[in-house]
Amino acid sequence: MKQSKRWGLFVFALFLMVLAACNNDTGAAADNEEEDTASTEEQSNTGNAETGEAAADDEATEVTFWHAMGGGPQEALEEIVADFNEKNPEINVVPQFQGTYDEALTKFRSVGGSKDAPAIVQTYEIGTRYMIESGFIEPVQTFIDNDDYDTSQLEENITNYYAVDGDMYSMPFNSSTPVLIYNKDAFEEAGLDAESAPRTYSEIKNAAEKLTKKDGGNVEQYGFSMLNNGWFFEQLVYTQGAYYVNEENGRSGDPAEAVFNEEAGKNVFTFLDEMNQAGTFGNFGSNWDDIRAAFQSGKTAMYMDSSAGVRDIIDNSDFEVGVAYIPHPDDVEPEGVAIGGASIWMTNSMDTEQQQAAWEFMKYLTTPEVQAEWHVETGYFAINPDAYEEALVQEEYEIYPQLQVTVNQLEDTTSTKATQGALISVFPESRQHVVTALEKLYQGTAPKDALDEAAEQTDRAIEIANRSNQ
Amino acid sequence: MNSAPLTKESGYEVGDLPEHSEKAFPLRKDFWQAMLYLLPSFVLFSVFVFYPMFRTIYLSFFLTDYDGMPSVFVGLENYAYIFTSDEFLKSLRATILFVLITVPAGVILALFLALIANEKLKGIGFFRTIFSSNMGMSVAASSVIWLFLFHPSLGALNQMLSTLGLSQVEWLLDPTWAIISVSVTTIWMNTGFAFLIILGGLQNIDEHLYENAGIQGAGYWYQLRRITLPMLSPTMFFIVTVSLINAFQTFGQVDILTQGGPAESTNLIVYSIYREAFVNYQFGTASAQAVILFGCILIVTILQFKFGEKKVHYQ
Repeated sequence: MKQSKRWGLFVFALFLMVLAACNNDTGAAADNEEEDTASTEEQSNTGNAETGEAAADDEATEVTFWHAMGGGPQEALEEIVADFNEKNPEINVVPQFQGTYDEALTKFRSVGGSKDAPAIVQTYEIGTRYMIESGFIEPVQTFIDNDDYDTSQLEENITNYYAVDGDMYSMPFNSSTPVLIYNKDAFEEAGLDAESAPRTYSEIKNAAEKLTKKDGGNVEQYGFSMLNNGWFFEQLVYTQGAYYVNEENGRSGDPAEAVFNEEAGKNVFTFLDEMNQAGTFGNFGSNWDDIRAAFQSGKTAMYMDSSAGVRDIIDNSDFEVGVAYIPHPDDVEPEGVAIGGASIWMTNSMDTEQQQAAWEFMKYLTTPEVQAEWHVETGYFAINPDAYEEALVQEEYEIYPQLQVTVNQLEDTTSTKATQGALISVFPESRQHVVTALEKLYQGTAPKDALDEAAEQTDRAIEIANRSNQ
Repeated sequence: MNSAPLTKESGYEVGDLPEHSEKAFPLRKDFWQAMLYLLPSFVLFSVFVFYPMFRTIYLSFFLTDYDGMPSVFVGLENYAYIFTSDEFLKSLRATILFVLITVPAGVILALFLALIANEKLKGIGFFRTIFSSNMGMSVAASSVIWLFLFHPSLGALNQMLSTLGLSQVEWLLDPTWAIISVSVTTIWMNTGFAFLIILGGLQNIDEHLYENAGIQGAGYWYQLRRITLPMLSPTMFFIVTVSLINAFQTFGQVDILTQGGPAESTNLIVYSIYREAFVNYQFGTASAQAVILFGCILIVTILQFKFGEKKVHYQ
């Protein structure tokens, strides 16, 4: 027994020693860390000097820029940033890819307001109300006023979306709209006119019927497809002049309930349901790449995509690609489309010098030259219409006349509260419910039931958000 | 060290315990000593397990604001809501179905592979390596591989079916198939680990038992039933328990393959918690779901120990 007690003491002493050692270790580790950061900074500075940005050495104001542009757009964006850094040696913009819009927003939510937050963050259009209410951002209107920046040089349909109560909270950057993309070769094969795309619901349904090719039980080519993404549903509702939520789409007050399950929404769901029942609708899930692969491999002859995907699709398809306006019900006069895509936000967790630098970068992004480059590289709109006059754009239009369709569709849009797009803080959640409703629809749930359920869940989400964020 | 009562002679010389307590509670000293030994794990568990657990229970009674801080106390409303919401009940059902598919199938497959890999043949080491190789792959990497196999228009599985003249399957787009597809992926991913553990268990069985049985003329199946399986039962018990808990906590493959879709058919409970917490930013309802998941795993594990362990033969 004595033995065991001694052991106990010994173990205790040992434990204390380990604890003490741990403390020392942490201290040492922290020291090391500081050293490490210091040396990395040195390295990056020397790096800059080597690449000829000598002036960027010491005082260059660092502006971190969180974005969600992957693939081709990422390359285009990084090129633009590199050009900016070269032209403005006193500023060093650091672009950081943060995954999809959803992921980027989720990350921003957890660091917002802290010193880990970036200076600029790119957020998708449906995150607009959340960002305004978050308290982590500085409205760009402040800088627009201070700088007498002329916002009228920007595309009106785009600034309309991002202006809330007359104020610009964020700078539009990459804007896109939905378009109908179709396989011209398949149209000709089916005896359809490849030069005039179907536009009304019944035209689409007829065309889809003719385009569907079956081989026994397997469908070789579907007539029509749509990505399971709430965005397309929203657009098909807006184009009918209808709202997503009450209070005029949340534009004239805080919305309290979803109205997308009324007439317009039902039109859309019935339209999709009829084609699905007829076997002319191909469901390729909710992944953008999957539906694009389906179109490129001839599994579907018409589908809806973002204008930002147009250029890639044309480049990667071995048939003629047509681009057209989005569908609308036969008896409804279409109002056009709402802006999708994203805008860039200035956060408030940095000093004025950094904010000023961030603002310089934002202004640079909206110049016609940059926008022209951005537009032709990606298919996103030029938010500054002067860009369309640039020689670069005109040359590309010769090669890709389809890009022009996307621009025309936006310019033909009547600006109303519907085509301004909805503003709700729980949009990401609501969109998820709409996706589920679409999936249920394709499994045979009645259009009305599927829609009502999504609307009910959206109502609850709005209610909970209002209760918990007073 | 037997159960001899503690006397003053055998007691501690440490003076930090008052005299009277030692008399009144002769076991005190042992108790404190035990506590001392437990201290390190107690500290670690408190920081990483107990505190988060109580915090989760606490959060489940609140609504949270945009910063994820509790803002409105709502009592049991979160629980009341999730138990009446179709979404959660569906996800509970999906989870149970998923567990019922993956655990038995996974364990039986691993057992089968371990039995054939336990034969002493030339070059068996190669097969043992192959069978356990997917242990070295991350959930993300394996899911992405399966994602390509299941691809709706370019997937290898559908192309194989086409070549055989069979009709194509919407692997991840049809709710019934989606849960099967995710289960197949999971079984494939977990087999390596289960295989390795079971193989280890098999190799621990005393050779003499088989020699004996062989001399007495017992056939392969008889030996399997009467020697291998009983001797393997502690290992099997371990593997079944671990697989059950893992299956309840499945997340990665769902996130990559289906994001809980289509029509919520693969919205397993952990994924549902993730979405509620980090997409919808409702930590309250997410916490309530987490508490229920904890309850489910606890019940299953208790049942496991109560009924399953009786069949375990410890040597």
